[in-house]
Amino acid sequence: MNAKDMIWLSYRDLGEKRARTALTIMMVVIGVASIIALVSQTAGIGASIKDSLSSLGPMSMIVTSTGQQGFTVADTARIASLPGVVSATSVLTGKAAVLSNGRNISATLIGTSPQGLEELLGSINLYNGSVYQNTISPAALAGYGIAFPSATAGRQNIFIGEAVSLYVPGRIGGITLPVEGILQRYGNLIVPVDSAIMMSLPASEAVMRRTSFNIVLVKAANASDVSVLAGLITDIYGNSVSIVTAQQILKIADSIIAQISTLLAIVAGISLLVAAIGIMNIMLIAVFERTHEIGVLRSIGFTSRQVLTIFLFQALLIGVIGGVLGIAAGIGASYGLASVFTHAASATNANASISGSQGVGFGGGGFGVGSGSVFTYGPVFDAGTLVMSLLIAVLVSLAAGIYPAYRASRLEPIDALREL
Amino acid sequence: MANYSVRVRDVRKVYRSGNIRVKALDGISFALEKGDFAAIVGPSGSGKSTLMNIIGTIDRPTSGEVYIDGMPTSHMTGDSLSGFRNRKLGFVFQAFNLVNGLDAQKNIELPLMLSPISEEERRNKVRMMLSQLGLSDRAGLKPTQLSGGQQQRVAIARALVNDPTLILADEPTGNLDSRSGRDVIKLLKRISDTGSVTIVIVTHNPDIAKACNKVIHLKDGRIDKQEVRRR
Repeated sequence: MNAKDMIWLSYRDLGEKRARTALTIMMVVIGVASIIALVSQTAGIGASIKDSLSSLGPMSMIVTSTGQQGFTVADTARIASLPGVVSATSVLTGKAAVLSNGRNISATLIGTSPQGLEELLGSINLYNGSVYQNTISPAALAGYGIAFPSATAGRQNIFIGEAVSLYVPGRIGGITLPVEGILQRYGNLIVPVDSAIMMSLPASEAVMRRTSFNIVLVKAANASDVSVLAGLITDIYGNSVSIVTAQQILKIADSIIAQISTLLAIVAGISLLVAAIGIMNIMLIAVFERTHEIGVLRSIGFTSRQVLTIFLFQALLIGVIGGVLGIAAGIGASYGLASVFTHAASATNANASISGSQGVGFGGGGFGVGSGSVFTYGPVFDAGTLVMSLLIAVLVSLAAGIYPAYRASRLEPIDALREL
Repeated sequence: MANYSVRVRDVRKVYRSGNIRVKALDGISFALEKGDFAAIVGPSGSGKSTLMNIIGTIDRPTSGEVYIDGMPTSHMTGDSLSGFRNRKLGFVFQAFNLVNGLDAQKNIELPLMLSPISEEERRNKVRMMLSQLGLSDRAGLKPTQLSGGQQQRVAIARALVNDPTLILADEPTGNLDSRSGRDVIKLLKRISDTGSVTIVIVTHNPDIAKACNKVIHLKDGRIDKQEVRRR
């Protein structure tokens, strides 16, 4: 029997029972799609975290004052003088709310010099406008999410040159200041850039009514020096500072993502297992229904191996069709899931800030994972995952087809012919 | 001896059901020459169909041997037996046993899928079979769209298409009205008259037996009597 006839004989039976075939294929589609959708989410989240960290770089560490006292410029200078330190940047962060065009947007206030901002962001990419001057007169640079808040569904709410009102905790009434620049989209992890309102350090101190700041951003000469430096800084400040290194964050994020990946892979695996049982069930029914026909084929001279091959090929067809459709469905579902997660996160965040004091919500006030800022990501696909899930679909379908096909091939022609 | 198309030598078939042993066939021996048009007749339960299935290699005797074209079949197994059935035998069943999903043409083509012949030769053979059996205008119809007589003619075409030496027909007219039944027997007779095919019909219809040149009467698993007429 040539391959063409074999494919035709296998395909014919699937084509005859269209609804049943479609439902069987659907099970494979769901299995494959869930693998792809779930893997692409964790890959996307991982990539987004790495992306956020890449602006800081592996040589960075964030030294945060935990006491009321905070840091002064003298502390920054002292840290800068430590061996192996390339730069130390003074940063003040705090919760804030921006009122503009009748909308109250929760934000993180970041006060640092333009040079410090560059250390923080890697490089300053403006959407439009310009970066503030390093003076005490308040002028702001708005994060992308402040100018284009999710509340307006991405419509611009703040324009260059516009005066906005800034509210901070512990201060009655707002401060009016002009927005001179808008940053491009950076993401919100570690440093919540997109939901930040940025200004010079002295300006931020004036707004917050402080004479100290809470963060020193340190960059080491080598990634390997980071932990030694962290030790030195702890020796100086003891418990009054907490130190987070970019490496630590990456490590924590990596291990969390690995765990979530494993969990999601198990979930996807279960759906494929269900698909396999479904295929086996459907094929056993098909073998049962076609017993008589198998008897006829055997009497005509089809060998048991040819009967086996016809049924196995059916399973293979189900796997290949389901796998290919599953990849397409998986890619679609990935974008859907990412957008659902992102919206769910922003909704939760909005609720949290609305419940803030005196009807004015304040955004997150520090740096770090989960500082209450909206986290956006897109699914990430790699060819390996797509090929692998297709392969798994085909193998699982084939495996599910083995037993029914074997049953079909073991039928004695005389017994098979008696079945009507 | 090697000239015999079919030689059945002391074939026995015993079914066991618990402690009960049922002798379906109890020492059957006979021989058919090439071109014979033979009938196996007998009452229900006489072992006709069992004998037919054993000759057709889709059942095995408990003991004894069946030679087809001089070849002992009881030692053949698996793929060689399937190949043997494909090359040497053609089956015609009472219930037609066509594959319902396939049209007439594809049903006839099935045995040829196992032959190492070109697609063109295959198409030609099928077309020839269709025209010889008056089915040319039915080629594209599914079995359910055909009358009983037409279905049985498709089944005969399928049995003949691979040029077998032996055609085994189990109650081929059993599901047909008398006219279609007569047509089918006439058709089988005409095929037999070419002299290249041996035909064995299992029947309990005496009219069919009358058309045959050899009639083997079975009773309780034994040969009751054998009639031989000139062809």
